[in-house]
Amino acid sequence: MHYIRTTILTLLGLTALAVMAFGGRSVESHKGQVVVTYWEKWTGKEAEQMQQIVNDFNQSVGQQKGIYVQYLSMSSVDQKTLVATAAGVPPDIAGLWNSQVAQFATINAVEPLDDLAAAHGITASYYKPVYWEGCRFNGHLWALISTPATIALHYNKRLMLERADSLRKAGLDPNRPPRTLDELDRYAQALDMVEKTPNGQKRIKSAGYLPMEPSWMLTYIPYWFGNKLFDEKTQKLTLTDPDIVRAFEWVKSYSVRLGKDSMTEFTNGFGQFASPQNPFLVGNVVMTLQGPWTANYVEDLKPSMNRWKFPKEKEKGMSVEERRKNYEWGAAPFPSAVPGLTDVSYASFDTLMIPRGAKHKQEAFEFIAYVNRQDVMEKLNSLHCKNSPLSQVSEQFIRNHPNPYISVFEELARSKNARGVPPMPIWPEVADELGVVAQRVYLLQAEPKEALQDAQNRLQEKYETFLERQRLRAKS
Amino acid sequence: MTRTEWKQIGKGLAFCSPWLIGFMVFTLIPVVLSLYYSVCDYSLLQPPAYIGGANYHELLDDPIFRKSLTNTLLYAIIALPAGLMVSLGLALLLNVKVAGQTFYRTVIFLPSLVPTVASAMLWMWLFNAKLGLINTVLDWLPFRLLIAGINAILGLVHLPQIETPIGWLTNPAWALPALAFMSFWGVGHTVVIYLAGLQDVPSELLESAEIDGAGMTRRLWHVTLPMLSPVIFFNLIMAIIGTLQVFAIPYIMTGGGPARATYFFTMYLYDNAFRYLKMGYASAMAWIQLLIILALTAIAFWSSRKWVYYQGK
Repeated sequence: MHYIRTTILTLLGLTALAVMAFGGRSVESHKGQVVVTYWEKWTGKEAEQMQQIVNDFNQSVGQQKGIYVQYLSMSSVDQKTLVATAAGVPPDIAGLWNSQVAQFATINAVEPLDDLAAAHGITASYYKPVYWEGCRFNGHLWALISTPATIALHYNKRLMLERADSLRKAGLDPNRPPRTLDELDRYAQALDMVEKTPNGQKRIKSAGYLPMEPSWMLTYIPYWFGNKLFDEKTQKLTLTDPDIVRAFEWVKSYSVRLGKDSMTEFTNGFGQFASPQNPFLVGNVVMTLQGPWTANYVEDLKPSMNRWKFPKEKEKGMSVEERRKNYEWGAAPFPSAVPGLTDVSYASFDTLMIPRGAKHKQEAFEFIAYVNRQDVMEKLNSLHCKNSPLSQVSEQFIRNHPNPYISVFEELARSKNARGVPPMPIWPEVADELGVVAQRVYLLQAEPKEALQDAQNRLQEKYETFLERQRLRAKS
Repeated sequence: MTRTEWKQIGKGLAFCSPWLIGFMVFTLIPVVLSLYYSVCDYSLLQPPAYIGGANYHELLDDPIFRKSLTNTLLYAIIALPAGLMVSLGLALLLNVKVAGQTFYRTVIFLPSLVPTVASAMLWMWLFNAKLGLINTVLDWLPFRLLIAGINAILGLVHLPQIETPIGWLTNPAWALPALAFMSFWGVGHTVVIYLAGLQDVPSELLESAEIDGAGMTRRLWHVTLPMLSPVIFFNLIMAIIGTLQVFAIPYIMTGGGPARATYFFTMYLYDNAFRYLKMGYASAMAWIQLLIILALTAIAFWSSRKWVYYQGK
C-alpha cells in the first residue's frame, strides 16, 4: 500500500514538474520588443507563405521599431477570436473574412481603424473602391486586407478545341470564351457530352458548364443579373426582385435541360475543390466560375495543365500573352445577363482586424500597415496567387504573377460592377439561406419565386428584429 | 455532529474539491447562465439584454427550427431502434461460443476506435454515388434484380421508384436514412455493454428453461431478454441522448444538405451560436433540446416499470 501511494505521488510530482518545464508559455521571450500576437485562418502552404511575410517584418520593420509578431495559424479563427475577445484576452491581430466586417463591427468585437490608417497614409485612394468599401461599415473603417480576390470564368482551352466541331456547328468560336450569358448557355450546350444508357437514361460524361459547380458561388449569381441583393437605403433585402428571380430561373434551366437526375448522378462523382478529382481539373466541366487561386491549385494538383506547350522554365522572360499560351485553361470576365453590364464580379477578401481590447493596437497596426505596403502586398498576393487590393499595381506584379491571367482579375477588381458582400450584420445567415434556395431550385424542389419569397420573408423579419434590438440597446 | 465528523466532512470535501470546482465552473454555472441568456438578446460581446420570452416565441415561428427538429426526430426514429436491435443482434451472435470469438468481437469493436472525422471521410467515399463501394455492390446482378423487384412492388402501389445509382448523400430523400444507416458503424461500444450483460444472465435459468423444453427462441424471449432488460434500458437512455444530439458526422459529411435534408437540431444551434452570433437564441434552443430529451427519458423511465426486470427484485 505504502509503495502504491509513493508511486502515485511520485508520478503526480513528475507530471507537475513536466508541465512546469515544458508546458505553455504566455509569449516567447523577446527582450525589449513588444510581442504582437497574430491569429490567422490559413493552414498548409498558405500559412507558410504568410509566415514568410511575418518573418520579413520581424527582421526589418519589427526590429527597427521593437515589435515582434508571433504568428499562429488555426482553424475556426473567427470563433476563437470571439471567445478570446469576450474573455478579455484577444489576439492583437485576427485574420478573418470579409463577411464578418459588418457582423463583428456591430457587436463591437473589433476596433475602428480610421485614425491608425490615416496616420499611416492609408486612405480611400490607396485602395480599389470595392475593397475599401468592404472594409467599412457604418461610416468607420474596421479592417484592412491581406489577400483579396475577384472571380471569373475559367475555361478549358484544350477541351474546347477537342470539341471544336460541335462548337462550330452551333456557330460558336472554339478559340475564345463566351461573352454574353446567352452565349455561355450555347457554349455549355455545345460542349456537353451526353450518352444514352441501354435502359434509355441520359448519362452526362462531361458538362460544358454547371451553375452549381462550385456551389459556394451561387449566392452571388444575382450580381451578374444586375442586382445587389440588399438595398442599403431602405435596409431591405431584394430577394424577390425580378432580376434575382431571373438569376435563379437561369440556375434552374440547367437542371431542366440536363435532367435533374442525370445531373445529380453526374455531380455525385465530383471530388472536392482542393483535390485531384476537382471537376475542372479532370475535365468533368469545361467552364467554371473561380478565383485567381486556380493557377496555384492547378500547379499543385495537375501541373501538366500549366505546361501545355512547353516546359515551365521557358516561360522566363516571356510576355504575359506568350505565357498564357502555355496554359491549358484561360480566364475571362464571367458574362453578364444584362446588356451593357460588363466586368461584373464578386470581390471577396481576407481581412486583418484588431479585436476589441487588444493590448498592442499601435504595434499591431504597424504590422497591418506593413502588409499593406505595395511591395509586401504584391509579394503576399503573388504567393497566394491573388490580385492586389491596392489602387497602384506594379508592372512586375502582373508580369511575374504565377497566374498569367491576373490582369483579368485586376481589371474586374477595378470595375464599378465588382461587388463585395452586402453591408449587413446578418449576412452570414442570409448567405446560408441563399445557398439553400439555390439547392432547392436546382434540385427542382421549389420554384425560384416561391423559394426566394420564403427566404425574403424570413430573413427580412430576422433583420428587422435584429435592428430593433440594436436600437433598444443603443437607447439603454 | 461531533468535531471528528466535521473534520471528516471537511477532508472529504477537500478531496472532492477538484471535481466540485470543475463541475461548478465548467458545468453548473454555464448551465444556469445559459438559462438566463435564453431570455436575453446576447451576442457574446455585448452585455445580455433581457427580452423575456422573445427567443422562445421566435423559435416557435421559425421554419428552420421546425425543420431541424423534425429531421432530428426522424433520424432518432430510424437510428435508435435499428441501432439497438443491430447491436443486440451482434452481441447475441458474438456470445455464441465458436472458434475465433475474440477475433470477431475485436472486429465489431474496431470501428468505434476510428476517429469521427476519419469515419466521416471514409463513409463519404463509400456513399459516393458514382465511385462508392455501396453503389458498386448494388450494381451487381442479384442486387439489381432485387431493386427491380422492389420497384415493381412500389409501382403497383403507386409509390416513387428507387432511382439507381442512389445519390446517398446528394439526394434529399436518401441523405437522412444514409446517415442513420451509417450510425451502425459505431455500435461497438453498445455491443460490449450488451456482451457484459449477457454474461450476467443466470445459467441456471437458461438450463431450467432448456430442461422444460424451451427452444432457443423461447429461451431468448423469456429468459435472456428479460434478464438483459436493465442493460437494454441503459442503452436506450444513452441512445436517446446520443441521437438527439447528433452533430459531428452530418456536419462533416453533408453540412446539413442537400436542401437542409440533414440539417439537425444541434447544427442549427451551433450555427446560431457561433456563426450568427445569437447566443441567446442558441441558449433557448439548448433548453428546448434539454426538455425534449428529459421528456423522452422520463417516458422511457415510466415505461421501464413494465418491461425492465432487476434480478434482486
